[in-house]
Amino acid sequence: MDFFLSLLVKGLTLGCIYALVALGFVLIYKATSVINFAVGEMMMLAGFLITAFVGLYGLPLAAAIGLSLLLMVLFGFVLERGVLRPMIGRPVIGMIMATLGLGIFLRGFAPVMWGVDKKNLDLMLPAQPLRLESIVVPPVDLAGVGITLFLLACFAYFFQRTRSGIAVRAVADDQQAAMAMGIRVSTVFALSWALAGITAVAGGVVWGNKIGVDQYLSLLGLRVFPVVILGGLDSIAGTIIGGLVVGASENIFGGYFDKYVGGGLKDFVPYVLMLLVLMVRPYGLFGREVIERV
Amino acid sequence: MLRARRFWPLALVAAVALFLAACEGGEEQPATGTPRAQQPTGAPITIGMMYDGTGATQLIGVAYKAGFEDYINLINSKGGIDGHPINVIFCEHGYNADRGVECYENQKRGGAIGTVTYGTPITAAVIGRCNQDQIVCTFPGYGSAAAANGERFPYGFPIAASYWSQAGAAVRFVLDEWQREGKSGKPKIAYLFYDNPAGNEPREVLRTIAQREGLQLEEVAVPAPGTEMSSQVTRITQSIRPDWVITHLFGSSPSVSIKALKEAGFPLNRVVALVWGSGDADVEAAGGWAFAEGYYGLQFTAIGTDLPVLREITEMYRSQGKQPPDLMTKNNVYYMRGVANAAVMVEGIRNALRQKGYPITGADLKAGIEAIRGEVAGVVNLNLSARDHEGGGSVRIYQVRGGRWQLARDWFQGYRDVIESFVYR
Amino acid sequence: MINRECGIFRTTYQADMSLYGVPLARITVAAFALFFALVFPFVVDHKHLVWANFAGISIVAAIGLNLLTGYTGQISIGHAAFMATGGYTAAIMTTRADVPFWVGLIAGGVFASAYGLIVGLPSVRVKGFYLAIATLAAQFITEWIINHVEWIGGGFQASIIVPPASLGPVRFDTELEKYYLVLALVVLAVVAGLNIARSRLGRAFVAIRDRDVAAEIIGVDIFRYKLLSFMISSFFAGVAGALYVYYVGTATIEAFQISRSIEILAMIIIGGLGSILGSIFGAVFVVVLPLALEDILEFFRGVLPVTDIDTFVSQLKLMVFGGLIMLFLMVEPEGLNRLWRNVKDYFRVWPFSY
Repeated sequence: MDFFLSLLVKGLTLGCIYALVALGFVLIYKATSVINFAVGEMMMLAGFLITAFVGLYGLPLAAAIGLSLLLMVLFGFVLERGVLRPMIGRPVIGMIMATLGLGIFLRGFAPVMWGVDKKNLDLMLPAQPLRLESIVVPPVDLAGVGITLFLLACFAYFFQRTRSGIAVRAVADDQQAAMAMGIRVSTVFALSWALAGITAVAGGVVWGNKIGVDQYLSLLGLRVFPVVILGGLDSIAGTIIGGLVVGASENIFGGYFDKYVGGGLKDFVPYVLMLLVLMVRPYGLFGREVIERV
Repeated sequence: MLRARRFWPLALVAAVALFLAACEGGEEQPATGTPRAQQPTGAPITIGMMYDGTGATQLIGVAYKAGFEDYINLINSKGGIDGHPINVIFCEHGYNADRGVECYENQKRGGAIGTVTYGTPITAAVIGRCNQDQIVCTFPGYGSAAAANGERFPYGFPIAASYWSQAGAAVRFVLDEWQREGKSGKPKIAYLFYDNPAGNEPREVLRTIAQREGLQLEEVAVPAPGTEMSSQVTRITQSIRPDWVITHLFGSSPSVSIKALKEAGFPLNRVVALVWGSGDADVEAAGGWAFAEGYYGLQFTAIGTDLPVLREITEMYRSQGKQPPDLMTKNNVYYMRGVANAAVMVEGIRNALRQKGYPITGADLKAGIEAIRGEVAGVVNLNLSARDHEGGGSVRIYQVRGGRWQLARDWFQGYRDVIESFVYR
Repeated sequence: MINRECGIFRTTYQADMSLYGVPLARITVAAFALFFALVFPFVVDHKHLVWANFAGISIVAAIGLNLLTGYTGQISIGHAAFMATGGYTAAIMTTRADVPFWVGLIAGGVFASAYGLIVGLPSVRVKGFYLAIATLAAQFITEWIINHVEWIGGGFQASIIVPPASLGPVRFDTELEKYYLVLALVVLAVVAGLNIARSRLGRAFVAIRDRDVAAEIIGVDIFRYKLLSFMISSFFAGVAGALYVYYVGTATIEAFQISRSIEILAMIIIGGLGSILGSIFGAVFVVVLPLALEDILEFFRGVLPVTDIDTFVSQLKLMVFGGLIMLFLMVEPEGLNRLWRNVKDYFRVWPFSY
């Protein structure tokens, strides 16, 4: 039972911080229907920025994170303005490809700027993990859960209560109708990329502390796919549910059944689960269904 | 296109010459007494070296390449081998098999008689070509262990220690420690491995040894990219509860494993990592030397910053008015592997020149490397032959103690008979 | 292809669907064929021949994916799985059953296409990006199977060494011989691709892509054609995978990972969806550009102010490559093929544009 609880708790915390990565992905998809293949690379960039500010310029951690937030928001704006805006109104696949190009660019850019070696991102959290009986939770995981919930609350407020948030939802619903209502679609796009920049910093902080800052951060981008599909591509609440389900299931399956199949279940159980969900609900658990009428 | 290509080397030489000249003018003459570098006089000997500077193992690749390059430069600055300078065609492949083939063909075209096929997938992709073209391909500490059979893979050299030998040595070490501590019975071992071909390779050997010794062995796989292993570590600490853990991980995952095992309360002085999980960077990224105190790592080279060969390289840099690269100390372990690989190549060429004389071909280099016995440049310990292309598979074990890797056990082999039964089956 | 279509006004559907749009096109195609068969391999360097071979293999795979994604509108991020199926089928059959090369090649295609049928099943219910991720799942599951089932992976580090291809007395040993082998298959793939695209099959695909509900109403059996598209596309991928295995000489799972799936997808998007010519452009762009960039950046070797120039150049290469992808898509989001058509349209009535 202890073993099961351990796996479950770890899986759930893990799921929360997967959701952190997925959030940046869903934000972009919701507003712009672009699949952001560079979500991992943006997180890597944020991580590198923070460690560079701390390591090279000796800034305190809080200032470094603040500055990185600013820079990543700026990065979002510049990206939208410079690269993606010329593609508005053209097939969306072009934009998707552009994010792939961006990812390749960043994978070259980061080591050129900061070298290939792995940097530590020290969050000055207590070194001792929290222990509850046999369940061990590292402080960074708890911090990650906290940040995820906080961001979710912020985004929920933003999308439900603020003018800009409602504008984003309107654009997500129907670009042309939103345009006709006087909403500047380009501003909304820029805004969502800026928001993605913020989540990239949050993800960079948590994952950067967990695994160190180097190009491996960018590989986490691939882990979000089962999460976002399970939750529904355009559902913010779905990311957290998807994250929790993926985290818990991969841990429990991995923990109990790895020994029978020679390992690696962790990698594909989320996908099998995802396929099953898709068979029943083709738009994920919380995704918006497209109703087709003839 | 052809004309332009012929022009390039010339332009390159001119540019480099200009660059060097500019440097020379700017700096002061070296103080009297320091030995002037000797100029090689003979015709150059070309070899190739592939590495990863942008892919999954760039952290290792860049240091590896620096070590390789520095050692070759050292040899050249001392007048080359019998007056023949060594010319290296470097090629970066980003840990991509296609690019590896491209690199190989490029180096073959450039006249390389031997090369380093950095990376397991690249080795798998080119090893057939090496045999066909009679070009020596070295892959120390990775690639396929079966290539140690010099009769089946005449041009493949998994020099130093293949994954099989590493696994054998790791179990040997665990059992010896167990006995040294005076414990009764047999230890229970968990094998935590990266779930790719390289990680899977030692499993058969481990199972055979475990069966023979009557050990309990549990295998725990970590899927790529190995950035997260909470379920695996929970399984180890709460379900399997082994006495020892042998880890075989790559890239980011060794540091993740150290961190996760320590956080779960598993004593790190009961963990021994195969060679790609025992770098300086792995320890530092896990949370620093103090955090990883006690962690054991296998090495197939001597490591440390005070080795004679490193003093020579530092001397070479100083005499050029430069500082040695910080990779030498910061990423010493992987740097040393580059040095060791280069040293084996150089030793092989030296033997080939002695046996046959200039010019030498890939076949001569093969014979030259097969003639290596004993320590090379004070960093590796090999006993190669036409039959054994691995060289005995001796390793050292280092432990994280007091902020650095300290030697825990000098050159030894483990379960040679089992490994040979696999190599020559 | 490059002929000016000035003054060509097609009056029948048949003329519009014809392979050779203008009479001159036959001569152009013949000229191209002659160039690539007799001139190109003898004027370029050995190195460029290697590039050409990798590009050729990629073209075969890209045409296959374009039939599925560009023509039928079903995105696949798991195409490397089909290449792996084809590659391992060929490797296993060659090494264990000792079948001739061409049998291995076709068997690779057939097995991949059967596998494509299974993977394509979700497409009946799932659409768009959700489907794309379902194919991604296939990618990971395939990798896992090859890695873990020893009978398939071969035990030797999940890689199988394959003897060079031979056809009767001809052995494809050297780079040049392999070039002709690849070229022959590229030509076959292009011809097959063009003909599928302009036939009844291709029109059904396009109908599904443009509006699946409408397609069903006019009598296109969506179920059947979607799966057919998956099968045909996987057949191409399987042949490309088998060709890759014969060319490289080894089947290794690490050559068919997710990065390759994304690479093939990148080829057809950069080249242009729904166009065979675009697949060729894209494959050449993605395969050759990074290699060519390396040569270009090599030029600056002496002047770059860094210690490890080889590494710096390779990192710079990634930056430039990524930057160029973005730049080209900014100029023309519909890919290189569209860019090419724009240029052609400009010259159509040049110099009398008005």
